[in-house]
Amino acid sequence: MPNNEVDLAIVVNGQPTVVRANTNAPLRTVIARALEQTGNAGQPPENWELRDAAGAPLPLDQKIGDFNFAADVRLFLNLKAGVGGVA
Amino acid sequence: MSPAQYVDQQVSRAKFDREIAEYRQLESDYLRRGWLLVRAEFPNVLVVLAAPQLSPAAIVTGVAFDYTNYDMQPPSVRLVHPFTAEPYKAKDLPTVLMRSVEAGAPPIPGLQLPLGAQARFIAQQPLMQSYGPDDTPFLCLAGVREYHDHPGHSGDAWELHRRSGAGRLVRLLETISKYGVQPISEYQITLQPRIAGFAQREVPS
Repeated sequence: MPNNEVDLAIVVNGQPTVVRANTNAPLRTVIARALEQTGNAGQPPENWELRDAAGAPLPLDQKIGDFNFAADVRLFLNLKAGVGGVA
Repeated sequence: MSPAQYVDQQVSRAKFDREIAEYRQLESDYLRRGWLLVRAEFPNVLVVLAAPQLSPAAIVTGVAFDYTNYDMQPPSVRLVHPFTAEPYKAKDLPTVLMRSVEAGAPPIPGLQLPLGAQARFIAQQPLMQSYGPDDTPFLCLAGVREYHDHPGHSGDAWELHRRSGAGRLVRLLETISKYGVQPISEYQITLQPRIAGFAQREVPS
């Protein structure tokens, strides 16, 4: 694996997958790949949110390399709540 | 009450088992976030959500799922008492899952904004909905059976969300946790002082 690539474990709606990503690319680039790998085709990437293991949202425009993710990091990608809240 | 199972039970059970197996695979991660899977027996799941950020940690709510007819139908999701699994009435809910949403701007007479500026209005809206304090509230969220069964949401069919995993166990728990547990920052304590009498400096002889 080249130096500028990293494997990230991403849990999509509870389903784990590993995405190979370029460390110079913004974090949002892993979303489409993770969705594709897990067969989640129903909603576009902007309707998903990426969080760390503690549940904190991650800034998607930040470069992947700048996060200094640990080798065993797990990120959690989940569908946003969307419209709702009106009975 | 659970509806009758009309989907081939093997299909629903296989999908249910996948939900549980994937959850178990990452259970230690979820446990650190305060999620305790206490029962999983097809078609029902009971998860208790705690707030580990508090000291001492607090149990916030139970969440009961019913995966009958999954995924021809979305799961039923109820906030329940964590120890009895009885669904909460609206008046007893420990959280209404309040969320901030951008709302349409109400007309404000006399309001003049600088050229190019736009006003954003943020409203707060509960995801738990009911018609009265004694009703059993429902989670007003696509991917939840009660949402799609509601006549007000007949234009947003389950089939539009099914392939996105909207009814998956972890996704629903993430949403409930995001709005109901993670924002909790501290215990809210109300003290009601009562006058019990008079204190005396001394008892004269």
